[in-house]
Amino acid sequence: MKDLQHLYYFESLLTEANNELVRQAQAQGGLALGYTCYHMPEVLLNLGKCFSVRLRAPRTGSMELATYYMSNATCEYARALLERGLEGGYKFLDALAGVDCCECMNRSMENMQLLKIEGTEKKSFFWSNIDVPCSDDEGCVAHFAEQLGRKVLKPLHESYGIDISEEAIREAVKEHNEVCRLITEIGNFRKLDNPTITGHEFHILTLISYTCPKHLIIDKLRETLEELKTREPDKKKNFRVKVVLIGSEIDDPELVSLIEDSGALVVADRYCYGSFPGRQELILSDDEPVLTQICRQYLQSSLCVRLCATHKVQKRLDYAAQLKDEYHADGIIYEQIKFCTYWSYERAFASHIIQNEYNIPTLSVDRPYMSRSSGQLRTRVQAFVESIEIKKIKAKKAGEVK
Amino acid sequence: MKYYGGCDVGSTYTKCVILREDGKIASAVTIKSKINSEQSAKAAIDQAVLEAEEISKPSELSYLIGTGYGRNKVPFADENISEISCHAMGVHITNPAVKAIIDIGGQDVKGISIDTDGTVSSFSMNDKCAAGTGRFFEAMANAFELSIEDFSNLSLTAKNTIPITSQCTVFAESEVITLVGEGKARDEIAAGIELAVAKRCFIMAKKAGAKNSITLTGGCAKNAGLKKAIEDVLRIKVVELKTDPQLMGALGAAEFARQKGMDKE
Repeated sequence: MKDLQHLYYFESLLTEANNELVRQAQAQGGLALGYTCYHMPEVLLNLGKCFSVRLRAPRTGSMELATYYMSNATCEYARALLERGLEGGYKFLDALAGVDCCECMNRSMENMQLLKIEGTEKKSFFWSNIDVPCSDDEGCVAHFAEQLGRKVLKPLHESYGIDISEEAIREAVKEHNEVCRLITEIGNFRKLDNPTITGHEFHILTLISYTCPKHLIIDKLRETLEELKTREPDKKKNFRVKVVLIGSEIDDPELVSLIEDSGALVVADRYCYGSFPGRQELILSDDEPVLTQICRQYLQSSLCVRLCATHKVQKRLDYAAQLKDEYHADGIIYEQIKFCTYWSYERAFASHIIQNEYNIPTLSVDRPYMSRSSGQLRTRVQAFVESIEIKKIKAKKAGEVK
Repeated sequence: MKYYGGCDVGSTYTKCVILREDGKIASAVTIKSKINSEQSAKAAIDQAVLEAEEISKPSELSYLIGTGYGRNKVPFADENISEISCHAMGVHITNPAVKAIIDIGGQDVKGISIDTDGTVSSFSMNDKCAAGTGRFFEAMANAFELSIEDFSNLSLTAKNTIPITSQCTVFAESEVITLVGEGKARDEIAAGIELAVAKRCFIMAKKAGAKNSITLTGGCAKNAGLKKAIEDVLRIKVVELKTDPQLMGALGAAEFARQKGMDKE
């Protein structure tokens, strides 16, 4: 396929957290607000002159500093963030809005705060840590809204004079929704028999939408969508099977690339930093406070494994099967970043149930934060691809293709 | 007569098998891997071609498949297939009754279960850590200043077993040196090492769904002490293969090559 016009530029932006567009927005008076998790509604970090930056630690090498503070049996994403913070990589932030999503992230944020990774230049810098409920009933919605109002909106107003009114939030929702619409429309090309966008390309676009000021990328996203409408796929398919990728945090496009190089095209992304959920529009009514509506939609759409209510557990399984059908995938890959407590449980039982009760071919793997050099991971994915492919070929030969 | 090749470029040894179109082995070679996978593959293929007699150069192979760690570096290969699929196929054509494999190579341990048609039904595999792999045995045998074969035989003479607490190659070596320094019986330490690896294999085999029978493939399959420890731990008979178990990856690749080549023709 012909290269997408902006892809290399987007890819270059992902090589550092404080990228060119972040610096440009700050030079224009913008405030960079860092966050780490879907449960911090990014739309609230995009009020007025603020813009959200979902934190990553690209090009991470060894994590000795963070390991000293957190031990080596902790999530590598949480450690990589602390390492990057200690290296001075997040000094550009004007605030850091964390959530109580897991113990590893709590320890990471706590250490960042104690070790003052924000430096001394940002006089109005503030930290927040939100208690996120583990379900989505109305009590949880009220609690979530109270936390966000008190720990995020209020400090934004008091520290930086940001307008946190209903109107201001609705304005931010408009921009958020446009980005979501664009990403969703772009993602729909993955439903084609021979998709005109790869999982790797789509992951780059999604990551860009999480890590760059939205007003500075929106035109390029629009152009990318237009480009895709006429993009011709390669005549010979460049993949052997299609898969849904489900699991914990992935902010490294190299991982998706490794999977695709092994023959499995990633057609749906159901992981932290993916688009399911994360890139769905927020639908607002005039009947109740906008913050309440946002909180409800975030909690209801969340598929995070920390939400342990029974209906959420079932929803995650059903949604995995739904994505597989909707995107015409041949199987599902469950991945888990090493030492992610929640996913170590979810991956074990979900991959078993999806394989044995939903009868969907499933591969279950754990992986480090940076996976680019893992020959073993490549072998596992390729063997999974072959097991699906060989069975398809044999079934076809036997005239059993449905 | 047409000929088909499979070349398994492992981290320690490179294997090549050439099959005739009737599925019979024309030649099979095993050589020590070089640092460069392409050179290893070329050397193994050249030697296998030489030994096949009926053909004189690699280009006379109708179809060639690369597998193993360096599978995408095999010169002239028509395609590459993962060693997981190839070991399954190799064992399937050698003994179709066997439905589960523990493959212990130079840097990998894998548990593989085989479907009725020789395809993989499930598998599990170690990550980057070399615990329980051929590298682990090399390091342990070195600590004893023995060859791997002598190390294995030593473990079989033990009446008791001294448990090894670490499977990390570095820490286990240090533990072994400490135990030897304390004057503990060397055969019992060796038996403890075999048991530690067998336990790791147990996890892989169980994860892959091993039930009634199992076989060992890869270079470590020739380790009699490990075989005995696995039989003791898994409490199932380890099936001996009539063909060299170290060749299973290359044999499976050659069989895939034969099937694909004949389909193509």
